[in-house]
Amino acid sequence: MAKKILIVDDEAHIRMLIEQTLEELEDEGVEFFTADNGESALQLIMDEKPDMVFLDVMMPKMNGMEVCRQVKQELKIEGVFIIILTAKGQELDKQKGQEVGADVYMTKPFDPEVLLNKAKEVLGIDS
Amino acid sequence: MAKVALKHIIGSKKELYKVVTALISQLNTTVWIEDETGKLLYGEKKDTNHSSYPVILDEEIVGHVKGDESGEIIASLLTQIIFKEAEKKNLGSEVLNLYQEINVIFNFTETLTQTIEPDIIARLTLEQAIHSVNSQSGVIVLWDDETKELQIPSAAGEPLFDKEKIGGNAALLLKIGLSGQSEIMTDIAILKEKGIIDESVQSIVYAAMKVKHRIMGAIILAGKSTEQFSAGHLKLLVTLALQSSAAIESALLFEKNIREVREREEAVLRLHEATKKFVPNEFIRSLGKDALTDVKLGDLAEKIVTVLFTDIRDFTSLSEKMTPEENFRFVSSFNARLGPIIRSHNGFINQYLGDSIMAIFPANANDALTAAIDMQRAVHTLNKERAESGLTPIKAGIGMHTGSLIMGITGDEHRLDACTISDTVNTAARIESLTKYYKSPLLLSQETFQEINTPHDFHIRHLGAVRLKGKNKLLNIIECFDGTDEKDFNNKIKTLADFTEAMNYYNDQQFEKAIHLFKML
Repeated sequence: MAKKILIVDDEAHIRMLIEQTLEELEDEGVEFFTADNGESALQLIMDEKPDMVFLDVMMPKMNGMEVCRQVKQELKIEGVFIIILTAKGQELDKQKGQEVGADVYMTKPFDPEVLLNKAKEVLGIDS
Repeated sequence: MAKVALKHIIGSKKELYKVVTALISQLNTTVWIEDETGKLLYGEKKDTNHSSYPVILDEEIVGHVKGDESGEIIASLLTQIIFKEAEKKNLGSEVLNLYQEINVIFNFTETLTQTIEPDIIARLTLEQAIHSVNSQSGVIVLWDDETKELQIPSAAGEPLFDKEKIGGNAALLLKIGLSGQSEIMTDIAILKEKGIIDESVQSIVYAAMKVKHRIMGAIILAGKSTEQFSAGHLKLLVTLALQSSAAIESALLFEKNIREVREREEAVLRLHEATKKFVPNEFIRSLGKDALTDVKLGDLAEKIVTVLFTDIRDFTSLSEKMTPEENFRFVSSFNARLGPIIRSHNGFINQYLGDSIMAIFPANANDALTAAIDMQRAVHTLNKERAESGLTPIKAGIGMHTGSLIMGITGDEHRLDACTISDTVNTAARIESLTKYYKSPLLLSQETFQEINTPHDFHIRHLGAVRLKGKNKLLNIIECFDGTDEKDFNNKIKTLADFTEAMNYYNDQQFEKAIHLFKML
């Protein structure tokens, strides 16, 4: 089955950047989904069961931490690797990210190379 | 134009899939879509006669819509959509490049704030530049305005640059590399000819490092292919160069400031050390101050101290035989021997008055007396040395008195001096001059002796009371004969009982008995 990645950010250019960063995975058959708020992200996670989610924290409707908490702790959806992405300087969130069960925590601006390598590693794609 | 696969826009999960399905059903037709290799992406293939309409992106066929004539509309729609998708991708990749640059600059700036070492800044800059600009090798050259030479604070990557040749071809490099410009060069034959770069280098890119309008140097990177460096690379390199120029400049200024402050501190310390020799620290501390710069006219402190005077006996006749310079050297060498003894017994020299020394012992009178004994021993040692050189022995008289003393700063606003004002000083000086009459080198007052907390450590004789010139009060004088030569010492010990008895008669005004006993000694 094709691997799926969900990119969640309320800022369009960040969604575009992440998608662009991960572009080469498309050739490996990876499918991309995007969401611009927490609620639709949660719906997509339930519907599509993505292998990996890039999750922004500060978003309208439902923030990323809450999405992560519901997925990991309430719905206990398995096989979803969640990377929390938050702006640099809000490092306090790091601990909170771990509390809500995020798998990895990254800061923005992110290093595209690091992001791509992490995605390959999680999806088991050889670089 | 970016490449976009048709399957990525018409995939079953995409919005477009639903729209195309609806459109085809509205047109009441059956068409199918294949990619450029003929793989079916949508619909069902039919082997009957059919038309084929290409979907084109960037003059390349990326797939076909096949079936009846309505396929043409679908194909042109897909061509439009895939073009928009490719445009979006282009934009995306440009944004990503910019984002990567921002990321590089962001991290680089953060790194720069963590160091103030010029060489480390140069190394970090070069490592970042080689990585970001994707080159094989690089150097940073800085122009040293003082030595008029090119410095190479950092070199990294493959050894494609010859450091020595860079230094030796400063004029050439100044003309091209350090002109303040930044550019990509592929015409580099001259650099190879001079041996500055390796034969394998095909292109170089360099960016000037400047602060305000002054050129500090340049970052030079080498590449092994002619197409290696892009305008984007150059732009990034210029940014890195400017960032590091400012950082290196501040680091150099910082270093210079630190150096200057240290030099000034050392100068002040030297001055302080020098002033300490003129005005003793103990004196300043007695005034409750830490440094000479803190004292001011009128500062004063009163203390009970022991004042010690020492003087070279018969100095006048001694000095007659010497030239003024010999005189000076003699007194200096004498003082040089006695000074350390005074300090080692917690005293300090308040004043040198020609051949005499005035010292103050702020703690116990023990200090003053033991110092005086050691001073007498030092005189004996000096005399042995003089005898070896055929010189006559010298004698030093020491007198001391204990009492209150005012130390203060006197003078006027343009000329200050540390001075002591006290009757104790006068009395000590008078006692010292009594050594001539008593023919005893070491005399102290009863007041001093009373202050000594271990009087039994010393050998003394009471010499009776005297009335000093201009004084009403009688002063009891005590001789300490520790430190005198062995013969003299033993004599005084042997006759001490008789001497004391004679003194007692004398004090009782039984002069005949006293004279009788004294004569027997």
